[in-house]
Amino acid sequence: MREMAVIIQRDLPSVQAALQTSVTPIAAGSPEAAAKPLLELRAVTKSFGPVTALADFEASVAPGEFVTVVGPSGCGKSTLFNIVAGLEEPDAGGILRFEGNSCHAADLLGRVSFMPQQDLLLPWRNVVDNAILALEVEGMPRAEARAKALKMLPEFGLAGFEKQYPHQLSGGMRQRVALMRTFLFERDLMLLDEPFGALDALTRAMMQRWLLDVWQKYRRTILFITHDVDEAIFLGDRVLVMTARPGSVKLEQVVDLPRPRRPEIVTAPEFVRLKRTLLDAIEEESMKSFQSAVAEEKAK
Amino acid sequence: MSIGSTASLVEDKAAAGLRPGRLPGWMRKTARLLLGLAVTALLWEGSVQLFGIRPAYLPRLSAILAAMAATPRAYLDGFLRTLAETLIGFAAGGAFGVLIGIAFFRLRALREMIFPIFVVSQTIPVIAFGALVVLWFGNTLLAKAVIAFYLTFFPVTVNTLLGLETVDPKLVALMKSFGASNRQLLLRLQLPTALPHIFVALRLASSLSLVGAIVGEWFGDTTGIGVLLLQAMYTENVVALWGALLAAALLGTGFYAVVAAAERRLVFWSAEQ
Repeated sequence: MREMAVIIQRDLPSVQAALQTSVTPIAAGSPEAAAKPLLELRAVTKSFGPVTALADFEASVAPGEFVTVVGPSGCGKSTLFNIVAGLEEPDAGGILRFEGNSCHAADLLGRVSFMPQQDLLLPWRNVVDNAILALEVEGMPRAEARAKALKMLPEFGLAGFEKQYPHQLSGGMRQRVALMRTFLFERDLMLLDEPFGALDALTRAMMQRWLLDVWQKYRRTILFITHDVDEAIFLGDRVLVMTARPGSVKLEQVVDLPRPRRPEIVTAPEFVRLKRTLLDAIEEESMKSFQSAVAEEKAK
Repeated sequence: MSIGSTASLVEDKAAAGLRPGRLPGWMRKTARLLLGLAVTALLWEGSVQLFGIRPAYLPRLSAILAAMAATPRAYLDGFLRTLAETLIGFAAGGAFGVLIGIAFFRLRALREMIFPIFVVSQTIPVIAFGALVVLWFGNTLLAKAVIAFYLTFFPVTVNTLLGLETVDPKLVALMKSFGASNRQLLLRLQLPTALPHIFVALRLASSLSLVGAIVGEWFGDTTGIGVLLLQAMYTENVVALWGALLAAALLGTGFYAVVAAAERRLVFWSAEQ
């Protein structure tokens, strides 16, 4: 393996022009590099009153790519996701492009399949009916949607559970139902917001491997938020490290590990090297947000 | 790769309830209930005889049942008439309460305009209101249903509103990200979420609507449980009074049981969680 990774340090917004030219050769490692980005964010800022959650956020996601986002808590990851899901409009001035066309965040409603942190299953719907919720909203007849979901059940480890209700399922299974709902809502871009955050370590490791299998089969584009660096490296083609609030991209790290990735890869020297780089960057930002929190305390 | 093995973690609740050699749960429950009723009836009958309680205070249960059996027509007609008034008032109050609750939820301005008036309306004693209704509608079945309605719509409105407001904003965001319209949000998310709260109010409304119907009958009518109560009171016929009481208890309990059964069927998820 030649150069493992190319690291771009983004300390000043003025480097942005230079960055855009340097991003292209990096992505040349992946087959999708030639295609134009599916999603592009340029100088996206979002503030809530006096608090700036995102400042000059820049990112682009190529079709079929698996991009993971890590950052210290409270860095505006969820704000980023709400914007891309179409739930929140960024401040004026930023550019949001989807499939090459510039658009408002609200235009993305119904065009991105979004999975929040909690499984958010409806307790009055059984597994199949929860999975087809998005299809129903789209207007697909129930029988057709159910038939489609039933075919997918085994792949999601839910065969035989179609009639069960959420309160009868384990946490991992509930999460898989939520993922299935996200997959059935066939959109080019999938947004996953810490989907495995609430699971125990063993279940989480299994879910990660399983997600990679499903992703490779369906070839969707995924933007995946996590606070777990191992998870970010294990899953992603590229990891974006966010700065402390206001959030922007501190580091963009290409993960050049071969696929399919074996679970043992987490102990490989390349993996550990990547992890060290990312942890250093996150550590720096965590300290910043910690110090600013302490300073705020003192100011009071 | 499949992770179906975690499937076995799911508890098999159905198996636990059906151990061999025992009656199913509902049969045992019914048997216990009947036993309780029988014991109460025996205690009633026995203590009246044992302590020599005068019939003016508490007649024997058997005497009451005998009196009811002697004139079954009056009790049956009264029961059915009051049942009809109760049901109409309950259905109208429930439907109106849910609709107005949704309207208040959607339109804040409407809520701020109308809700205080609703509260004021509920502070008017039902007796005063009943007199007015009889003036408007005469001694008709409708008049009684209106009084039953008056007592039921308010708790249903309040609980519908309360239930709609408990909807998790994250779920609303999720549905919106699927491109859901307001109508889809209401039918697929908000109303089902509010259903447990609505049923709490409906159970309360089932008793209140019976009160409304009986009070309505006191303003003048010829059939109904309220009429039987009033007639027994004027003639100081204690046995007939107790007969009317039993009929009212039967109606109230039966109606409540039906609403509670519907609740268990429709909001199965909140009971099992």
